[in-house]
Amino acid sequence: MKRVWIVFKKEVLDNLRDRRTLSSTIISAFFTPALLLGLIVVLGRTLNVNPDEKALRLPVSGGEYAPGLIDFLEQNNVEIVAAPADPAAAVKEGNEEVVLIIDPGYPEAFLAGEPAPVEIYLDNSRQSSSASIQRVRGLLQQDSGMLGMLRLQARGISPSLLSAISVGVRDVATPESQALIFLNMMPFLITLNLFAGGMNVIIDATAGERERGSLEPLFINPVKRWEFVIGKMSASLPFAFVTLGLVLLIFYIGFQIIPVEEYIGFSMSLDGRSLFNIFLLCIPEVLLAGALQMLVASFTRSFKEAQTYLGFLPLIIGLPSMFLTFMPVKSQMINMLVPTYGQSLLFNQILRGESVPVEYWVTVSLTTLALTVVLTVVAIYLYKREQVLFAKA
Amino acid sequence: MIEVKQIQKSFGKVQAVKDVSFVAQDGQITGILGPNGAGKTTTLRVIYTVLNPDGGSALVDGFDVRRDPQQVLRRIGALPDAHGLYPRLTARENIRYYGELHGMSGKALEDRIQSLAELLDMGEFIDRRTDGFSNGQRVKVSIGRALVHDPQNVLLDEPTNGLDVMSTRAMREFIRSLRDQGKCVLFSSHIMQEVSALCDRIVVISGGVVAANGTPDELRKATGKENLEDAFVAAIGSEEGLTK
Repeated sequence: MKRVWIVFKKEVLDNLRDRRTLSSTIISAFFTPALLLGLIVVLGRTLNVNPDEKALRLPVSGGEYAPGLIDFLEQNNVEIVAAPADPAAAVKEGNEEVVLIIDPGYPEAFLAGEPAPVEIYLDNSRQSSSASIQRVRGLLQQDSGMLGMLRLQARGISPSLLSAISVGVRDVATPESQALIFLNMMPFLITLNLFAGGMNVIIDATAGERERGSLEPLFINPVKRWEFVIGKMSASLPFAFVTLGLVLLIFYIGFQIIPVEEYIGFSMSLDGRSLFNIFLLCIPEVLLAGALQMLVASFTRSFKEAQTYLGFLPLIIGLPSMFLTFMPVKSQMINMLVPTYGQSLLFNQILRGESVPVEYWVTVSLTTLALTVVLTVVAIYLYKREQVLFAKA
Repeated sequence: MIEVKQIQKSFGKVQAVKDVSFVAQDGQITGILGPNGAGKTTTLRVIYTVLNPDGGSALVDGFDVRRDPQQVLRRIGALPDAHGLYPRLTARENIRYYGELHGMSGKALEDRIQSLAELLDMGEFIDRRTDGFSNGQRVKVSIGRALVHDPQNVLLDEPTNGLDVMSTRAMREFIRSLRDQGKCVLFSSHIMQEVSALCDRIVVISGGVVAANGTPDELRKATGKENLEDAFVAAIGSEEGLTK
């Protein structure tokens, strides 16, 4: 046990003197919060500006064929302008969000009581135009429906016959839960940081030793391999925890400084208690990351190779949490049996301000620790093989 | 004392060591001489326990490398072929790390490092980080850390590789001083002059087997050659791969 401490002490000192380790710790700690807060500032504005407040600028050609429709649009806060010569190109290039073309056959069809042809040009792939497109479509449908009803009534038929089902929509999304699209990204970002913090230490202590040729002389010391594995693995932990703590701290400060409310239209809270709980939840996950990195590093021949493989690890491990960004799932006990995924679900819940059941917390931590032990045992076995010196896996 | 008994070791289809046996006595310098790829490094690696022999065994002061590797490791100090240092640690810290792994600490350890620094003439750079050290300085630090626990058995794999003339001379002096302290010194080389200048006993390895084993005089007698170099060539059976 004493030798574990000696190995730990040496690796920590060695890595504290390494600019590569320190800069990667600090840069990654700043990068994540900066990314998320940046997204809030940039995306928050485009997504959340209320489209009904502004007049919608709509290029129209053939307005003279449908004066009734034009009147209706103008009454609904639409500013009618002349359409460009080539509407398809204008929309495609993004000069216009949406263009309305009224067919010369409109008056004739309208008078005959047939569907009167109009066309709208739009680009569905352009996120920022979606509000304008929806508004134009809605207004056209509204006008069409109103005229249809008038026609039915003129023929003595009740328009309500047309509606077989009456749909009432009640949107229960609170402003805060809309803001969670941003918070939903956090589990993934936290997973990334968990792995990033200790990665360089592990690489330096494994593939780095091999590349420098210092592994063979090291193994000619009366130290058991498990002592080396545990010592080197634990040396990564202080770096991982400091990185994680920094990330959460910068998040906290960022949310205090940046007027988030101004950008997304409502307040989004991220209090110290939630962040502290997240940190606690992360502890077993950091241990797991260390064991997994140690194991994978046993196969790598050089610093660069180790960086490549270990760099991919968090992306693979974080994949489930990345899905959570787009489709949040309610946590269930069964999910708690899956290390890292279980934590991500709970991070999400904490960020939503919901309470986390203690048994969930305990279960996910225990399964994570169990997996850590298994991986560590496998890693020790791998470092006992003589091939580890030459890394011919 | 190191006893090697009929060890064998293969890597895949390549049989690096087929049958090597010899004894290296305390108070003697035993040289393993052989062309590149003869199995010298593999033999040493089996003795310092980083490789398991496929067959046969090696004993260090009576401890079997397979059954008691920890006991063996306590009794040897080795300079392997690859002897990288930690560039962000000073020479002293590099040596201290190994001393601590051997269970040394406190004043005993610091005194030992200081005496090694004087013995190996490291005073000038002992407290500098090893990044940018010359080859000679690196070898000195590597030897310092290998001998920090004052082992009875010293294994050196091509210790003069890449050293200049002055450093080589100093290294030879140092190896002789180890012998004079009664240590068992085992070192490998592919350089004939070096082996003949230093060794009390010579084990010639070629193609994974022992081609000849004895004192320089015995070798000359056995092969009927006056010149030691000719004796080597006769023992190996060809001039291939033997550098002067």
